[in-house]
Amino acid sequence: MQEFVHGYEEEQRLRGFRCPNCGLITATWALACPRCGRADLEEAVLADRGAVVAFTVLSVPGDDFLNDAPYAYVVVELDGGGRITGWMPSVKSEADLAIGTRVRFAPSYKPGVQFVKDAGPAAPG
Amino acid sequence: MREAWVVGGASNRFGKMKETGREAATRVAFEAIQQSGLEPKDIGYTFVSNCFGFTEKQGHVGPLINGGLGIPDVPSCTIESACSSSSAGLHEAFVQVAGGFIDAALVVGVEKLSHLDTLTATSYFAEAADYAFETKNGATFPGLYATLANAYQKAFPMKPEVLGAVAIKNHANAARNPHAQFQREISMETYLNSPMIASPLRLYDCCPFSDGAAAVVVAAKEFVGKPTTEPLVFRASARAGSITEMQDRPDLLGLPASRTAAQKAFRQAGMEPKQIDFLEVHDCFTIAELLALEDLGFLPRGHAGAAEVDGVTARDGKLPVNPSGGLKAKGHPVSATGASQVVEIFEQFNGLAKGREVPHAETALAHNVGATGGSCSVHIFSRR
Repeated sequence: MQEFVHGYEEEQRLRGFRCPNCGLITATWALACPRCGRADLEEAVLADRGAVVAFTVLSVPGDDFLNDAPYAYVVVELDGGGRITGWMPSVKSEADLAIGTRVRFAPSYKPGVQFVKDAGPAAPG
Repeated sequence: MREAWVVGGASNRFGKMKETGREAATRVAFEAIQQSGLEPKDIGYTFVSNCFGFTEKQGHVGPLINGGLGIPDVPSCTIESACSSSSAGLHEAFVQVAGGFIDAALVVGVEKLSHLDTLTATSYFAEAADYAFETKNGATFPGLYATLANAYQKAFPMKPEVLGAVAIKNHANAARNPHAQFQREISMETYLNSPMIASPLRLYDCCPFSDGAAAVVVAAKEFVGKPTTEPLVFRASARAGSITEMQDRPDLLGLPASRTAAQKAFRQAGMEPKQIDFLEVHDCFTIAELLALEDLGFLPRGHAGAAEVDGVTARDGKLPVNPSGGLKAKGHPVSATGASQVVEIFEQFNGLAKGREVPHAETALAHNVGATGGSCSVHIFSRR
């Protein structure tokens, strides 16, 4: 599982798996597909851009984000498939973000997956 | 399979306990056994839940509770399933008793958190999410349910007053429950003026951090013979799991494990939702009550908000939900919550829910969720 975390922090890319049976693309570490159970998942590098499908702006953070609140926690549908959760330090209120907003992965000093708003066009699928 | 009953149930007042978790657990267990008409020596197994016992520097608390009850030679084990821990214990007790392995079992849940500050407690609660793929990316427990609320609002736009109606109704019920942490009603103004915790959830959308303990006694009908209380007959005891991570769920409109557990339970019971007289559901946040009513099959997707606003879920409504005050206002001492839902049903059936009775209740359903739905229990009970 550590390679996923290294992916975010050192390789600056989002790792994932693609299921050769049902086609599920997941950013969560697993040995078998969480949807169909197939065991030989293929490693994949996921797109670093996508759109917000759900979010919240947290005023009360956990201890890893003590000095970062308020910030947004987002579920992002990545271009080309797969969803991943992350956080957006630049979003300070609910009005700053909407479902559908384009975002891109922005590696940072902090562990975890960080996104920023993306002005550019969608990457080819 | 033998017919199994809940023959006793007891809870302390949720909120802040001076005593240790172990002491509180032993006291409610003793009270539940006394109430059942059985004796401690009748207990064949004790299932204990105490997720945060480590904060009191205490693990393996089962033998200590049994020792305090004068039955140190009775086996015990600790069952952990986050917020659904003691309903998971109840399921194991049902399996053992109905399966004929033992005649009676004790289920105890206890939590003490009041010695922790809010930040520490918030961080511990987030441990039930996926640390590597959620918490480390900024999630908290309210944050995850807030994300579900955001997705729900997108699909079914609603005013803040809809979630407010859930909070107000559950506070009104808790005001009549001596076990409840918040025994007071709140107004819509109080709700709307409470600070945002994780948009769109305000402070009054969130269950509190709570200390508390609850216990129930499960026994075989043939072992009890003539009961001294009005027993709850197990019609179904179902558990389900689902993908924990929001990022891998097919949709965010509800909790898949609630749907699966409810389908299993109704199939086991040979019943339909319309045959249930009242519900105790897992409303750790107001949005969770809406999701539960839809996941459990009581209302079509997108319809729970209107039912709350129209008073359908009030104690005297067509579908009373959380007459105890729910997690929201009764309190949510994580490991005690599942058992305490059953204590409420026991008190309702035994005329002990003075001032908050659900009239003419013959059947009830208890729904208890682990974290954001990685685990779920659904139990259905009826009178004899």
